[in-house]
Amino acid sequence: MSSNFSTAVTLLLSVLGVGVLRADPAIMKEHCAKCHNEEKTKGKFKLTYLEAAPTGENLDRWLDCLELVKDGEMPPEDESELTESDREKLIAFLKQKLKEFDKRNQRVRTSAPRRLNNREFENSVRDVLMIKDIGTHQPTDNLIGDTLHHGFDTHGDSLGFSKFHLEQYIESARMIVDATILSGKQPESRRYEISGDEIWRKRLNQKIRKRGLPSLDPGVFDFLDPLKSGVFPSFRMAPETGRYKIKIKATGKDRLVYKTENTGQYEGDPIRLSVHLGDRVRTFVLPDEEVMEIEMEEWIAAGSRLEMRNPTDGLRLKGNGGFRFQVSIAARHLKTHDPERYAKRVSEILKSDVKGSRRSNINDGRNWWAYWEGPRPRVFSAVIEGPLYESWPPKRQLALVGENPTVEKAEEILRPIAERAWRRSLRDGELDSVVELVEAKAESLGDLEAIKEGIVRILVSPSFLILNSEDRTASERFASKFSYFLQSTLPEEEIRQAVQSGNLASFEEVRDAVQLLVAGNKVEPFLEVFPYSWLELNDINFMAPDPDRYQFYHRKRLSDDMVNEVRHFFRHVVENNRPVSELISADYSFINADLAEIYQVKGVPQDSKFRKYTFRDGRRGGFLGMGAFLTSTADSLSTSPIHRGVYVMENFMGIHPKPPPADVQIEEPDVRQAKTIKEILKAHTKNATCASCHVNIDPYGYAFENFDPTGAWRKAYVVPVPPERNEDEKAIPEKRWPKSTIPVDPSARFRNGTEYQDITEYRKYIIGGARRDRFVRCFITKLLTYANGVEPGETDFAVIDKILAKSAENDYRIVETISAVIDSPLFREE
Amino acid sequence: MKTTRRTFIKGLGGALTLPFLEAAPLAAAAAAGGTPRRFLVVGNPVGMQPDYFFPKEFGKNAPLSHTLRSMEWMKDRMTVLSHTDHNVANGHGREISFLSGVLPGDAQAFPEKNMSLDQVMARHTAAQVRYPSIGASLDDGIRMSWTANGVENVPFTDPQKLFDHLFLNLTEKEKKMRREVIERNGSILDSVGDQFASLKKSVSGTDSDRLDQFQTSVRDLEKSFSNRLNWIEHDKPKYDISEHFSHPEVTIENRYNAIFDMIGYAFETDLTRVATVAFPLNLSYTDVGGVNRSYHACTHNGKMENVIAELVAIESFQIAQLSRCLKKLDSIKEPNADGTMLDHTMVLFGSGMGYGGTHSNRNLPIMVAGGGFKHLGHVDTSRNGASTPLCNLYVTLLKSFGIDRDEFNTSTGAFDLNHV
Repeated sequence: MSSNFSTAVTLLLSVLGVGVLRADPAIMKEHCAKCHNEEKTKGKFKLTYLEAAPTGENLDRWLDCLELVKDGEMPPEDESELTESDREKLIAFLKQKLKEFDKRNQRVRTSAPRRLNNREFENSVRDVLMIKDIGTHQPTDNLIGDTLHHGFDTHGDSLGFSKFHLEQYIESARMIVDATILSGKQPESRRYEISGDEIWRKRLNQKIRKRGLPSLDPGVFDFLDPLKSGVFPSFRMAPETGRYKIKIKATGKDRLVYKTENTGQYEGDPIRLSVHLGDRVRTFVLPDEEVMEIEMEEWIAAGSRLEMRNPTDGLRLKGNGGFRFQVSIAARHLKTHDPERYAKRVSEILKSDVKGSRRSNINDGRNWWAYWEGPRPRVFSAVIEGPLYESWPPKRQLALVGENPTVEKAEEILRPIAERAWRRSLRDGELDSVVELVEAKAESLGDLEAIKEGIVRILVSPSFLILNSEDRTASERFASKFSYFLQSTLPEEEIRQAVQSGNLASFEEVRDAVQLLVAGNKVEPFLEVFPYSWLELNDINFMAPDPDRYQFYHRKRLSDDMVNEVRHFFRHVVENNRPVSELISADYSFINADLAEIYQVKGVPQDSKFRKYTFRDGRRGGFLGMGAFLTSTADSLSTSPIHRGVYVMENFMGIHPKPPPADVQIEEPDVRQAKTIKEILKAHTKNATCASCHVNIDPYGYAFENFDPTGAWRKAYVVPVPPERNEDEKAIPEKRWPKSTIPVDPSARFRNGTEYQDITEYRKYIIGGARRDRFVRCFITKLLTYANGVEPGETDFAVIDKILAKSAENDYRIVETISAVIDSPLFREE
Repeated sequence: MKTTRRTFIKGLGGALTLPFLEAAPLAAAAAAGGTPRRFLVVGNPVGMQPDYFFPKEFGKNAPLSHTLRSMEWMKDRMTVLSHTDHNVANGHGREISFLSGVLPGDAQAFPEKNMSLDQVMARHTAAQVRYPSIGASLDDGIRMSWTANGVENVPFTDPQKLFDHLFLNLTEKEKKMRREVIERNGSILDSVGDQFASLKKSVSGTDSDRLDQFQTSVRDLEKSFSNRLNWIEHDKPKYDISEHFSHPEVTIENRYNAIFDMIGYAFETDLTRVATVAFPLNLSYTDVGGVNRSYHACTHNGKMENVIAELVAIESFQIAQLSRCLKKLDSIKEPNADGTMLDHTMVLFGSGMGYGGTHSNRNLPIMVAGGGFKHLGHVDTSRNGASTPLCNLYVTLLKSFGIDRDEFNTSTGAFDLNHV
């Protein structure tokens, strides 16, 4: 035993005094010092790092010790026999030291300033102006995108601010205000009547074809290729901002003529028509073969384009996905069902003088357009009327600027707007510079336009654009944070009053408020954005599965379904207030027919609706069984237990393994070889430097090797092996290479000795015992990261402990856990 | 309406004439004794397949590698550098240090944060040109250009918008409208400036930096408005890119041709002296012969030969586009100086990532061309087994550009491009 260690022990003893605590350094001496001393520093750790007590510098060591001892990872079974009671004593000792540290380091934590991200900007402007949405003319499209930090778009360091941002905020605010407050004379209303055969076919984002393919029936417009939309030539875009009445006569044609396996459209799904007004979409279910009149009344901003689309994810299965290849279904169908007509058409094709080109191939889709009987919306006619106004000036702006907005009234008009926008009460004279601006512009622009200028000015102020930029009262700060956390927008008057009156001062009150909001469907932004950010789903197609090997994933746009699965599941857990751990331990998820195909489960209705499904084989359910996790952590042709393991550690266990050292010679994975992943990664166990980290990381990921890059179950790796050939021989395409099959070995052993054979055992372990607390703690950390715009620091461990304890008191229910986070000093900032 | 003006411009034909107005600054600079130096960067975010990119031998006469074959015509005016890097950790997300050597997370430690090389040069020429720098790409940028604020410069991703920006003159009505908008926005900024007083006073570190960012942005935008007001009166040079879009199917090759042509012409008319072009990851390169997969999928080829071939096809395409641009520059004589425009334009091709297949950020694929250097062919920059900081090359480039500096971020010296 080195003298340093003895000194450390002496120091500890002298600081601690006698009694129970004296036993613990002895425990450490017996069970830890063997490997963690001056000579042998296993895991690059020696006990002297702990010094006498936790300090700012060595805090992470103390925290790591506590975690590892609690988890049973240390001391390793084969090195030392630590009795349960000794383990408890050691844990108590470590906790005590940390508690003392925390007492010594009490501080108030305040969030650093950060700009509103683009979502928050949109929502906040909408609520300042008291409108339903910011306008269909896509006024925030010009905003520079938000940089994400581990999936989160609320991260202060990643959200920059520059003159480019500022200029775009000004332009964007102006566009929104212009479509909200109308000045001048009331525009005249017009009526547009369009018949089906006048409708133009337009490729998404590209040119328009004024004359489409020959109509299948006269006088109507059929949506054939889902990539092409329909536009009204006389109403390409709204001429003025205002209310428009739109009526469309439509029906769903030939829904069940062709089989699902050809069209990709499920029997249980109706035919739908989506109407796009700028960026607003309204989707309608069309009855089979009956004419229905769709009626809409919408406020549309000037310049918004009007388009109709067939919103199906089918009709892409044949060929390379292009519609031309789907039309070959018509040929084959006709051959079976009307052989006479088929034969007649074939002879026509053969007689046609387009020799040698593709058309002379009988089944080429271009020969069979007129015979198409696939599922499609059909539009007969449409009538549009507008712009219409209940009154002039329109009602929505009366609420904002009043009946008779003049420059003299500028202060009284702008005051409530500024208070809403700046999320606080105004200081004396604060509006002076705004009013001056309005007065200066009144002569050249006119009164109303000048007041609009004042509104834009309010929306460009740092008090609006930047959160946490100012000294505010505690209640202003809390109300704002509460709203941005759950609703991604500025606080409603109700919330501000409630906070002001002290009605959200306790945990119970916060919990009741959150429950009320959840029940009232008022936390949509949180339910949509938080799970997406937490699971880093923006990266789901960063390395998409290979389009040749995994066609179904791409053709049916599975990534959309997978993201929706995550959202449906998370929403269910919150709305039913399930325990947080159920996010991992659940034996159910929410799937539709497309996902059932990937997950190979039966008995799921053949349609696109998401329904709860309970898995019986112990392999799926919860986040760990979801395609979204499994595909985003895989490469296009292969999977990696390291990627999946690191993902589980960082996003669910709150462990952040260090990246490989800079001088590691990275081996490029060689998928041509017929080896299992364990064989390829044998350096991870045999080489001591690699093993020091990988013996901890890899076990988190091996269990998932039974899931291929799309998340489907596989018993074996199927590897196409390139055949030997001479230089001059022609290359054989990959799909004809011989395949070698290697069984998957999904077993592994954690450092603490726990072994598992496959995913079913892994799932039980990963959320049992100390790991459950770890997961909940990680969830809390992610909530705080999202809410505060920064990850909690190491010194915040004690506060997080308290939140965890509160959650535990309430059986870890998710609403109570979220409420505990909101109630904690890390959120309240006091 | 824009369409009519575009058709009008098409009608003028493709005649390239140097408009008198823009020639004036060029002449002035020449008279001042320094021929304008330009800087062109072309980059991608995932490096190059090293076996095909780096020539097998070293020295001036090293035969060109497969990927670089399209540059055969100028092989004596280029240098490929082996074994340079920025010493950042491997993996995605670090290649954004390509032109600075500094990651945004570490930017606070440097006086100019992670301002990129092209922006340092752009700042140097800003007073003399209409556009300090131009960035272009298709679909998306690759995050290689960073301002002094530590904020990214987002490139143009639509050739038509780039054209409008560079060459489309405003009608009188539009000029009036633009002046009005600038004035209105300027008044708003004036008014906003008064609200700084209410920002947090007692803040430290991060907080004060973030609030500073806002104040700096207001000042920068005011300056930008004032510059723009000046330039509104001047006509832009005339140009025509319609030939690239007259094909039935416009490929990415057509679109990159248009982009490089516009940048070449912008250099010629001294609209700018700094330009960056990116080949991003998420763009579909299937127009290029032999490519069927996504770019990212090609980098993860697992050593499968057929997939490597696709990757090399994409990489060769990038070099070929650059080569075509440089050929055009080389066909134009530099006014008031010896040599061609290529001899007075420094060209840098590379990436902040070494090779996507291993995610290694060592041995970055770096090539310097033109600029009038006495090039070295293929150079091994390592010393005693240690790589050379890429910033050493950047110090040399800065000096050549007329910016007198001995260091740049992580540099340890200056890399000599004229002798070994």
